[in-house]
Amino acid sequence: MGSNDESLVAAHVQGDRAAFRELVQRYGDSLLGYLFRMTGNRDQAEDLFQETFKRVHEKAHTFRGRNFKSWLFTIATRAAIDTARRRKRRVVLSPVAGGDCDEERGPQLDTLTASEDAVDPAETLVQDERKAQVRQAVETLPAKQRATLVLAYYQQLSYREVADVMGCSLGTVKTQMSRALATLARKLPDSVGVTK
Amino acid sequence: MNGHLTERQLIDYEFDLASESQAKEARAHLEQCDACRAKLDELKRKFASLDLLRDEISASEALISKAVENAASPKPARIIAVRRWPWLGTAAAVVVVGFMFLLVSNLGPGQRGEEVASDQRPFPDDAPTAVDLGYGTAKQLAPSSQRPQTVRSRLMMKPAAEPMTVAATDPHSIEIAEKPPFAPASAIELVVLPRRQDVQLTIYNAADLTLVREKRNLTLKRGWNWLQFMWANTLIDPTSLSLEPMEHKDQVDIQQLVFPPRLRELGRWLIRSEVSGQVPFELTYFTSGLSWRAFYMGTLSQDEKTMHLEGYVRVVNDSGEDYEDAQTRLIVGKVHLLDEIRALAQRQYAYGSPVPEGLGMKDGSAAGLAGADRRNETYEYGEGEAIGKRFARRLGSLERKEIRKEGLSEYFLYTIDGTETIPNQWGKRLLSSETKEIPVSSLYKHDEQRWGAQAVRYLSFANDEEHKLGETPLPDGMVRIYGWADAEGHLSYVGGTGVKYIPVGEEVELNLGPARLVEVEPTLMDFRTANYVFDANDNIAGWDEVRTWKIEIANARTVPVEIEATRAFETPYWTLPFDDKSVAYEKYDATHARFKLNVPARTKRRFEYTVTTYYGVRAETPVKRQSKRTN
Repeated sequence: MGSNDESLVAAHVQGDRAAFRELVQRYGDSLLGYLFRMTGNRDQAEDLFQETFKRVHEKAHTFRGRNFKSWLFTIATRAAIDTARRRKRRVVLSPVAGGDCDEERGPQLDTLTASEDAVDPAETLVQDERKAQVRQAVETLPAKQRATLVLAYYQQLSYREVADVMGCSLGTVKTQMSRALATLARKLPDSVGVTK
Repeated sequence: MNGHLTERQLIDYEFDLASESQAKEARAHLEQCDACRAKLDELKRKFASLDLLRDEISASEALISKAVENAASPKPARIIAVRRWPWLGTAAAVVVVGFMFLLVSNLGPGQRGEEVASDQRPFPDDAPTAVDLGYGTAKQLAPSSQRPQTVRSRLMMKPAAEPMTVAATDPHSIEIAEKPPFAPASAIELVVLPRRQDVQLTIYNAADLTLVREKRNLTLKRGWNWLQFMWANTLIDPTSLSLEPMEHKDQVDIQQLVFPPRLRELGRWLIRSEVSGQVPFELTYFTSGLSWRAFYMGTLSQDEKTMHLEGYVRVVNDSGEDYEDAQTRLIVGKVHLLDEIRALAQRQYAYGSPVPEGLGMKDGSAAGLAGADRRNETYEYGEGEAIGKRFARRLGSLERKEIRKEGLSEYFLYTIDGTETIPNQWGKRLLSSETKEIPVSSLYKHDEQRWGAQAVRYLSFANDEEHKLGETPLPDGMVRIYGWADAEGHLSYVGGTGVKYIPVGEEVELNLGPARLVEVEPTLMDFRTANYVFDANDNIAGWDEVRTWKIEIANARTVPVEIEATRAFETPYWTLPFDDKSVAYEKYDATHARFKLNVPARTKRRFEYTVTTYYGVRAETPVKRQSKRTN
């Protein structure tokens, strides 16, 4: 299409369904990646993905002169933090979901299949183990610190953009990021399979 | 700069988090300090591992379509897409299944049917693929690339409130697999994330036990469904979990509840459904941590002849779970529990060790059941069917907690009107009853043997119709009584006491503690001995002791009071002639006499009595010591 985000939003508000689909396609990958890193669970991330775009759909008429990406990630961040808060202490009656078992069961079949092409399968397994440790370290961060880290480090937003998404000051973002990194410095593995 | 840079300073410098001046300072220090540079390099290496999570994650076309349609639909169903997440632990099974698929694809349809039907091996052909579960043979034959789309569109199209439908257009074209799916952890799917529709709490206070009954609408698909229940950080007893469909009972069958090894605090139900759509279920379980206690506040009228009684119930939730809009019922009565629910809830595994006692492992080899990983498989498809059955029986026998009951008459149920939201770690006080103008009577009791010199105030009423009560028993709890302190209606605390469970029709006597304004003072006025009896050797063989007592009662209160004075004698051989008609006298028991009288406000009253006690042979010859009025 080649239109900018703002015109797509405007077209969507006018009832152009294709414009909304274009927005979803444009930001689908980065948003899903963000939500997956926030939740550590693919199913949950897809749930939040849908919830985020539903809110975008519903609130599009309120979107005025902002950066669409920031607005989208703001909605996604709120949804992810709300979910994390709700899930903290709760009896969850949920369908059996693959992501719940990831950490317990070790590498998944996808990983195993990929390892068939690797030179050394043992090395791949070690790498997977390390990856699990990193994921675990990131998941232990408080929700806001995790969101800041994921937005700044993985989504490569500037700190100012992160502040815009999180709805806080630049100083707060830097403090959150600094705290997150300090925590990770303690929890990330020094070398393969070793954590302090 | 003094000393070295801290880790935090290094992080801030590396990630552009430091202010300009701090960054400049740090840069200058790093140029000179090898140690800090080495530390920074170490940190960089460490943070480089974050890049391991930089996998490209892409949103599939199906997800994008779903998001677009879901956004446009007014009421989306909460959907978790069917996913394929096989585990490394089941890699071997996957290889076997792949091989079996290749084999099956080379057979004709008739041969394939026979193969499935006659398969009795631990790893059936259709086992490890999540999508295949519940779709039976006909769908299993569809090209694999089409299956996820089929499932997703079906799930997405069904709003939560959609009425029940049969999934297949031709029910005979889709058969549900005879066998339940293999390996729940590797066969992952299902459709709904239901909220509670309704919840009822029945709190048995005596045993730290609460029965929770929840109603939830689960969206089932036709075929086999797995449903997961997690109870982390709560005090739910996993051995008590029970799930029952409330509709379509003949078409929905709860097959089993499994507790996968190594996955703590979760259970999975296997549900076989002939229908597709929403089915209301009732989930019941026991939890501990919820408790309640009753307490009462009584306010006496100015003349102290009636009382306004308010009953309260305080419910405390320390169960780890929030209960919203719960209908709350409270049970009065004792429950005999075989186990402490709290202890059961905190066990690592729902039924203890993942390898059940007495199953396999005869030779001590881990190969017997292949450890915890094989637990679920074992009792369904395990090497020995006998082992499987034994394990299944064991699960079945433990599934429901046995609570022995003495009969319903031992209990009484209090239901709190409406519903209450009781968040975790909250307490809530609720008014349970309010009764005005209950006739009460005050009695001041004096008994030196029991309470010393002070009189004690008692307030009595009965739990019956005459006293405007009697509809329900009163649960045990603390009672606090307040009285009028002045003419303006200010209240003062009169006294309080704990009461036991009060059945309907029973009288209640509340001990309100020592009376400050009513005094009873006994004084010995005269003592003498008489009627000595001597034996053949002129030794004393018996005698009488005669005492005269004066009892003086001072009432400093502004209302008249009734006094009950109990007098004790050391011997059961006594006589007490008493003629004062203004004082009620009775022999209370073998060694006690009791006097009752009214004392007007701000006055003193006194009475006297003479008691003769008998000793030796005088006690043995009652005929000889008969007097005008004896005991």
